[in-house]
Amino acid sequence: MSNIKIKSKNLNVYYGDKQALFDVNLDLNEKEVTALIGPSGCGKSTFIRCINRMNDVIDICKVTGNIEMDGMNINDKDLDVVSLRERVGMVFQKPNPFPKSIYDNISYGPKIHGKGETKSELDQIVENSLKKSALWEEVKDRLDEPGTSLSGGQQQRLCIARAISVNPEVILMDEPCSALDPIATAKIEELIDELKKTYTIVIVTHSMAQAVRVSQKTGFFHLGKLIEVGKTEKIFKNPDNKMTQDYITGRFG
Amino acid sequence: MSNEHTVKSYEEELQFLKDSLIKMGSLTESQLSDAMDAVIKVDKDSIDKIIKSDEEINKFRSKIDTQIMNLLVKRAPMAIDLRETISSLKISQDLERIGDLSKSNAKKVKPLPLDLPDELLGNLKRLGELVMKQLNDVLDSYVNKNFDKAKEVWEKDEQVDDLTYIAMESVIDFLSKDKKNLDFSTHLIFATKNLERAGDHITNIAETVCYLVKGEYLKGSRPKGKVIQE
Repeated sequence: MSNIKIKSKNLNVYYGDKQALFDVNLDLNEKEVTALIGPSGCGKSTFIRCINRMNDVIDICKVTGNIEMDGMNINDKDLDVVSLRERVGMVFQKPNPFPKSIYDNISYGPKIHGKGETKSELDQIVENSLKKSALWEEVKDRLDEPGTSLSGGQQQRLCIARAISVNPEVILMDEPCSALDPIATAKIEELIDELKKTYTIVIVTHSMAQAVRVSQKTGFFHLGKLIEVGKTEKIFKNPDNKMTQDYITGRFG
Repeated sequence: MSNEHTVKSYEEELQFLKDSLIKMGSLTESQLSDAMDAVIKVDKDSIDKIIKSDEEINKFRSKIDTQIMNLLVKRAPMAIDLRETISSLKISQDLERIGDLSKSNAKKVKPLPLDLPDELLGNLKRLGELVMKQLNDVLDSYVNKNFDKAKEVWEKDEQVDDLTYIAMESVIDFLSKDKKNLDFSTHLIFATKNLERAGDHITNIAETVCYLVKGEYLKGSRPKGKVIQE
């Protein structure tokens, strides 16, 4: 039985008057990939944004209920959000490298978090992060070139390298492959498989096939509610809930 | 009742697959029944027709294969649709094998004499009727997605085993009375064994239907009747 890394209990999120999440109870296992699926606007991105307090940047957003990481209350007002985000990295739908060199893209995080004091330590972090994100071989001779000069797939792996450069515990991925071609997608999926040995990963995806391929656990959201959660294999072969079945088989009216 | 797929052509493709399988099933039923009749009545005139209908069944099988390949490639079916698709593949294989066994039985009619004793044929007939009923029931359970009925068929295969044993005994008994009977008795033994094997394919179908309906395989091993010496 895997350890629970993140635990949400009766989690509610409101954007002004509009409630976006309703009493979500969801456990994410350590060193496992959890896929979140559901139609657009169902709350899956809102949920993962609660894990690294990204909703804080939205003024009208209010979060109630409980969400914990290793027993620590993520919603605690006194929690240092910067150190939380050091522990919980995020990769977005569209690759968004900084307008800086490949090297600086990765060394920036460790620098501001006070990791890698010397140049050689930073060099090591950059190399390790790029190796872990399976990009090293492709960029090792051009670390000074801008991150934006890379292809879309490479840029996304650069963003993953940037996320893991501060040695987080959790990586959130919000549709990380939706802007990528099939080969680049395959590389990211291969990478996720490798990364889950070290990190707890949550991936939001609109591709059922991708959810099946990369995750061990799947949660289905609809209109802000977590309808069903279970082993990925079970969800896609024989879900308990009719709504889940209708969604994954393309019967949603 | 499930909602329909958002993509209408997907819905149609799945329905077309189900329809093909049902047609293949009813063709297999008539072929099995015709082959049984031919053996019991020693009706040599119907042999060619039965062999020909096996070709039809084989054609259905390859047609269904193509439909399944297309569905897998085009739709990447999930959940109930995935189970439906994979089940069709498995059921069509079993139906095709039942067709082959019926054809084999039809071929056994040729060397049989016309004056076989009633008792000998009676036991074979009872076995044939039971296998027919089993096939009919299992296809019904498929059409109606009836788990309980499929499970019943699965359990009832024990009776097929028992009747096979009895039918075999009577053939061997007949054979031991006169060595002249050796030639065609061998054919009758094979015909009996073929029916038993058809019964096994029917239990495979029953297992597949159970999986299709509930998404879980039947647990434990199915009840077995008397064992026939190979």
